[in-house]
Amino acid sequence: MQGKVDRLQLMELFKPEEVIVERGSETSPIYRNLVRALPDVPFHMAKGDTLFRGAISGVRFAAAKRKLYLTKYNGEFFKKCPGSEGQVCCNYFVINFASNCPMDCSYCYLQDYLANNPELRVFSNVDDLIAEADRTLSRHRGDFFRIGTGEITDSLALEPYTGMVREIIPYFAEQPNVLLELKTKSDCVDSLLDLDPKERVVAAWSMNPQTVIDADECGTASLGQRLSAAYRCQEAGYRLGFHFDPIIEYQGWEADYREMIDQTFATIDWRRLAWVSLGVLRDTPALKRTMRSRFPKTQLLTGEQVLCPDGKLRYFQPLRVAMYRKMAYWIRRAAPTVKIYLCMETREVWEQVFGYAPACEKELGNQMAPAI
Amino acid sequence: MSEPIIREYAQARGVHPQTLERWLSWKAPDRDALANLALDLRIGENHLRDLMDWLEELALRDGAAIAAILANGTVESIASDPRLGRADKLKRIKEQVRRLRFPRLAQIENEIRVKIQALKLPPGIRLSVPPGLEGGRLQVELNAATSEEFASLSAQLNQAVAKQETQDIFQLLAGQQAGARQG
Repeated sequence: MQGKVDRLQLMELFKPEEVIVERGSETSPIYRNLVRALPDVPFHMAKGDTLFRGAISGVRFAAAKRKLYLTKYNGEFFKKCPGSEGQVCCNYFVINFASNCPMDCSYCYLQDYLANNPELRVFSNVDDLIAEADRTLSRHRGDFFRIGTGEITDSLALEPYTGMVREIIPYFAEQPNVLLELKTKSDCVDSLLDLDPKERVVAAWSMNPQTVIDADECGTASLGQRLSAAYRCQEAGYRLGFHFDPIIEYQGWEADYREMIDQTFATIDWRRLAWVSLGVLRDTPALKRTMRSRFPKTQLLTGEQVLCPDGKLRYFQPLRVAMYRKMAYWIRRAAPTVKIYLCMETREVWEQVFGYAPACEKELGNQMAPAI
Repeated sequence: MSEPIIREYAQARGVHPQTLERWLSWKAPDRDALANLALDLRIGENHLRDLMDWLEELALRDGAAIAAILANGTVESIASDPRLGRADKLKRIKEQVRRLRFPRLAQIENEIRVKIQALKLPPGIRLSVPPGLEGGRLQVELNAATSEEFASLSAQLNQAVAKQETQDIFQLLAGQQAGARQG
């Protein structure tokens, strides 16, 4: 029944053992929020050049996530999503306000991507982030920007401590040419609920059946908790997004995914959905080596994946096309006109699944745009 | 088989230390089963790594011991076939282990092979599919020495297009018949 959500216990929140603050970051609102939210956690100050000294080498990936670093980010915040070579691009932009994630999914590409700098970092210079975004957004008012914040971190998992999203939503909510997507596997939405997103903010969840969450998404919210959080966001005026990604193929996956989709669309109003994406499990030979060493028992290693021309391993094409078709059918049955796109797939796969492929990345991006 | 023999083999074949370490981390019956094969067929680093990946993943998926997988009748009969040379044995054993590791992919590849054969095309026409079926396209190669031969091959290819087998091949490539995982 739509709108009916059980009262669920909230997910167990990650708590850093220590916060290390780069000198100069004390003036940031994020520092203020951290101090307020973590009164019993020790804070240490460090100079920028000594910040990570001794912290990286030899530190295992999981251990590196236990400390939280608050630092100034000196690079570019606003970037085009790199996508994957030869795949249909969805014209997505990313803003990275943190690096790495307190959760520990066995398939997470950050294990490989951030292997040499796995510290959990949050960037303190929010003003620079907003100023940089504003330069681009105001210069290109005729263009529509879909911006994600969950490329190298979970958008909301640290929100109860950092308040980062709460700091940036007021700016993005006022922009006429943007949709800011907050992508998460958490249920940390409380700080969003009293803000007015003005149709410019999409709260989005990566979705998997509870079987997959239990086996391969350590430290994340349960399916019920994610749906409860999505419902609360919808009630608060947010548009929603769902990413059925990575879809995992295993004995009985069809029943689990169908049930999850039914449960999802029984909980939320699909007409408030901005988009739904589909993507199968993707890894690389290097990531697979890391997974083998960190999660030797995960059954994700046993799928019938082949190496694709972009260097990623995916389920062999006829199999994943069949999976996508089933997923799209189950979704369409519940939400007939919702926008569905494939993440990191070739034109051939698009054609085989939907009978068409977007002519260009702008076309796909524009399909996601609300009436501006 | 003792660890020193495996170490000696790895050194002689230039096996990477990480690969050797991984091999030696297996239970004794498993590492010995692979060692028997490796020594017999003089398997090099790349083939060894492929086999190790597939065998480990098979063991994880099926809850079977690697030694038991290698004791599979087909693998053993290839390894002991006196008519086959070393390279042929290795090729066929790898194919067999791959078939076990990727059963549905192998089945679709096989079905496509059977359909292509059923088209009874002349030697000047070669139909093939990409490795792992990625791309979903049928590749067509024509080999003609004269314009007459080219015309003849084109006509025969045209006839093949209308056959049911051709439609079936495209259906297989498009995932219309991709099977469910067997328990």
